[in-house]
Amino acid sequence: MPYLALEGVRVIDAATGVAGPFCAKLLADYGAEVIKVERPGTGDSSRATGPFPDDLHHPEKSGLFLHLNTNKRGVTLDLANPAGRDLFRRLVRESDVLVESGPPGEMDSLGLGYQELADSNPGLVVTSITPFGQTGPHSGHEFTELTLFATTGAMNREGIPAREPLKYCGETAQYFAGNAAAAATMAASFGSLLSGRGQWIDISIQECMTGHPHQLSRRTAFAYSADDDSRQEPHTSFFSIVGEAYMVGTFRCKDGHVSILPVGSSMWPNFVRMVERPDLLDNPRFRDPTEREERHLELEAIFQPWLDARTKEQVFEAAHEAGLPCGPVLTVDEVMEDRHLVDRGYFTDIHHPDAGTLTYTGLPFHLSDVPREDQRPAPRLGQHNREVFGGMLGVGGDEMAALEAQMVLGESGPA
Amino acid sequence: MAMNDTEHRPLAGIRALELAEVWAGPFCGALLGDMGADVIKIESVQRIGRGPIRPRDGNPNYPDGEPGERPWNRGANFNGVNRNKLGITLDLTSPKGVDAFLDLVNLSDLVFSNYKFGVLDSFGIGYDTLRRVRPDIIMLEMPGYGNTGPYREYRSMGMTLDAIMGHSSLRGYPDLDRSLLTPVHHPDAVGGVTGVFAACTALHYRARTGQGQLIDLAQSETFISHIGEAFLEYGMTGRVRGPRGNRHPAMAPHGCYPCLGDDKWVTIAVRDEDEWEAFCRALGMPELAADRRFATLEARLKNQDDLDALIGRWTASMDRYEVTRLLQGRGIPAGPVLEAGGDIFDDPHLQEREYFQFVDHPDAGPHLLSGPIWKMSGAPEPLNNPTPPLGQDNERVLGRLLGLPDEVLQGLEEENIIGTVPLEGADLGGVRRVANRT
Repeated sequence: MPYLALEGVRVIDAATGVAGPFCAKLLADYGAEVIKVERPGTGDSSRATGPFPDDLHHPEKSGLFLHLNTNKRGVTLDLANPAGRDLFRRLVRESDVLVESGPPGEMDSLGLGYQELADSNPGLVVTSITPFGQTGPHSGHEFTELTLFATTGAMNREGIPAREPLKYCGETAQYFAGNAAAAATMAASFGSLLSGRGQWIDISIQECMTGHPHQLSRRTAFAYSADDDSRQEPHTSFFSIVGEAYMVGTFRCKDGHVSILPVGSSMWPNFVRMVERPDLLDNPRFRDPTEREERHLELEAIFQPWLDARTKEQVFEAAHEAGLPCGPVLTVDEVMEDRHLVDRGYFTDIHHPDAGTLTYTGLPFHLSDVPREDQRPAPRLGQHNREVFGGMLGVGGDEMAALEAQMVLGESGPA
Repeated sequence: MAMNDTEHRPLAGIRALELAEVWAGPFCGALLGDMGADVIKIESVQRIGRGPIRPRDGNPNYPDGEPGERPWNRGANFNGVNRNKLGITLDLTSPKGVDAFLDLVNLSDLVFSNYKFGVLDSFGIGYDTLRRVRPDIIMLEMPGYGNTGPYREYRSMGMTLDAIMGHSSLRGYPDLDRSLLTPVHHPDAVGGVTGVFAACTALHYRARTGQGQLIDLAQSETFISHIGEAFLEYGMTGRVRGPRGNRHPAMAPHGCYPCLGDDKWVTIAVRDEDEWEAFCRALGMPELAADRRFATLEARLKNQDDLDALIGRWTASMDRYEVTRLLQGRGIPAGPVLEAGGDIFDDPHLQEREYFQFVDHPDAGPHLLSGPIWKMSGAPEPLNNPTPPLGQDNERVLGRLLGLPDEVLQGLEEENIIGTVPLEGADLGGVRRVANRT
């Protein structure tokens, strides 16, 4: 009887960067046995990205790597070497899932493509994550989050008309694709349990973000009526989609900013109640949605002084009382202290032998009938070589030493 | 009762009931449907989340700006996200509606909802009730804030979660006030995708143990891990990260530059010194590489405004696709800024990948749209069945699947427990809410 949700599911994570490792992290965080395979010497590229404690570079203390690789064991293998590839094949033969992010065709050329791996493991699920997919004229394009995000249709509408379009923060498209990859992988794993047949899943980071609900909504509006999706002046968007919305957006208040979305006709009486102006309900200037939209600047002129007199917290509570969706704009340190997240125990402290104890983000959902376990730190480079190759695959001590000497494996780190 | 060609689709034979509005739940449902599940979306004629009953003429959310006779079946925002599902109506505030719902639960594997905490309990269809009907049922609850904690009864939308979860503080123009931020609705989309992961994890667990689950998923919490390294940065250095616009602390040039045409842009990122030299050669300015203002990353970061202005002058006379081709040809990351509709349909890469499909909708007509967001070897043909009109599948689901005779269905329709036309006020947050106010 599995104890954790994905206990007994073995995953090989041969991916680098953000999307692939994040996909494998989600599986690891729910109890799958995830073995991260890195190249000897430098390991996953995110070991060099940071952030680092006191800004001092150290491959075992990179914040991005530590975050993306919780709950995984770590081994090193040189896949350019035939002996390395042999060991890799043996690992995959004993596994249920492989997550990889090699350029299209690379795994095939190494003799590690889906067809070959599935021959000796028909239930295997291989999740291949690339910026533009396994096929197509752009499949060989170089990418960064910015240059890929631009091509998804998500960027054009972000920002103000007078300035350049904006990306979201950080590596959002890659995380979104990694999250999608975990969903597809679990669906295919479930299907494989029942049918004995796995899948090769082709995840294109571009296609995930291009098919995001916001893009779907705007794409369909374009297909229907050639509606354009260009940048709007703040506080005036959304009317065409939902029929009534005004003062949508982020607003200054006494000690910062709040985000508010009063959408739908039921929001008008709620708004009036919140700003304590019941007289507005009888005011002929604001009698119907069309007039309220046309006069939204007047409404803003009523709203802003009310906001200026209140803190983020006070606006948030007043909006809740009035039934309006609202959120204070919080910085990362404020998020960590948010009383709701604290009450739900969302953030979690994890101790890493080199990086020490730090506060990490937690699990995205909870299953009622499965216990929660303490989260374990990311692995050091090659930390579990002996345990995995020796213990699991039965590679003898002499052979291990020879492979280390030939740099097929990296040095085994301390256990 | 498969509606799809389920050749080796991973969720073939799985039935899911959807009680959800806007994005998080409905997007989860579409992704499940993409993979072969029979997803039954349950709405009601008392309350619709399909836009106004009487939109204004010219509203671009409708084909050719015409709301038509049944605008609730013709709205782009709804039709874009609800593909690959069956659609029924049930008044869950009535005992007969709840009875039919529980009969469906008995035939289903998964029930998922993004309604706020307490809503399903108020209908008498909380997990404990569902479990009595079908002990191994999987129930996925995905409200904005989850089912516990001080905010669990607070209303939320993607944009407000974006603020409270830290994203709004990390994006936007660094030199402008936050009040100019565009509304970004991303956390609820992340919630939707994570919902699929959660549901499939529970299905997998149930296949091995026979046990169902109640899944507590907070949309807000699904997104926070997507900025996980920013929290570690704070813990490691004490620095509270702020907005960077399109810039990056370890890459320069890294930005968005104006091209030929009205509001046309290209993005460029140079990752290391070799790429910087190749970039300067591509501009026809090889000597720029050694220019003291730009010769190292540190120098380029310091003089980034000048660098961006210089690059902008170069791109201003070029087509964005030409810049992309030129730079990608030298292995340098570049990509044009595309619209979500419009020019993205012309993208030769997405076309060759068959990313777009023609969808013929019974009320909205035929249009080129996009569907599944990943490809699987066992199911090469993408499913893109049209979003169901309101109550379209009442007969198919309640009649054929549940076996309710015609007279019973007729009676349900007369009592407005089922139907295909929304009642007056259904678009204002629900008929009963309107009635209670007046």
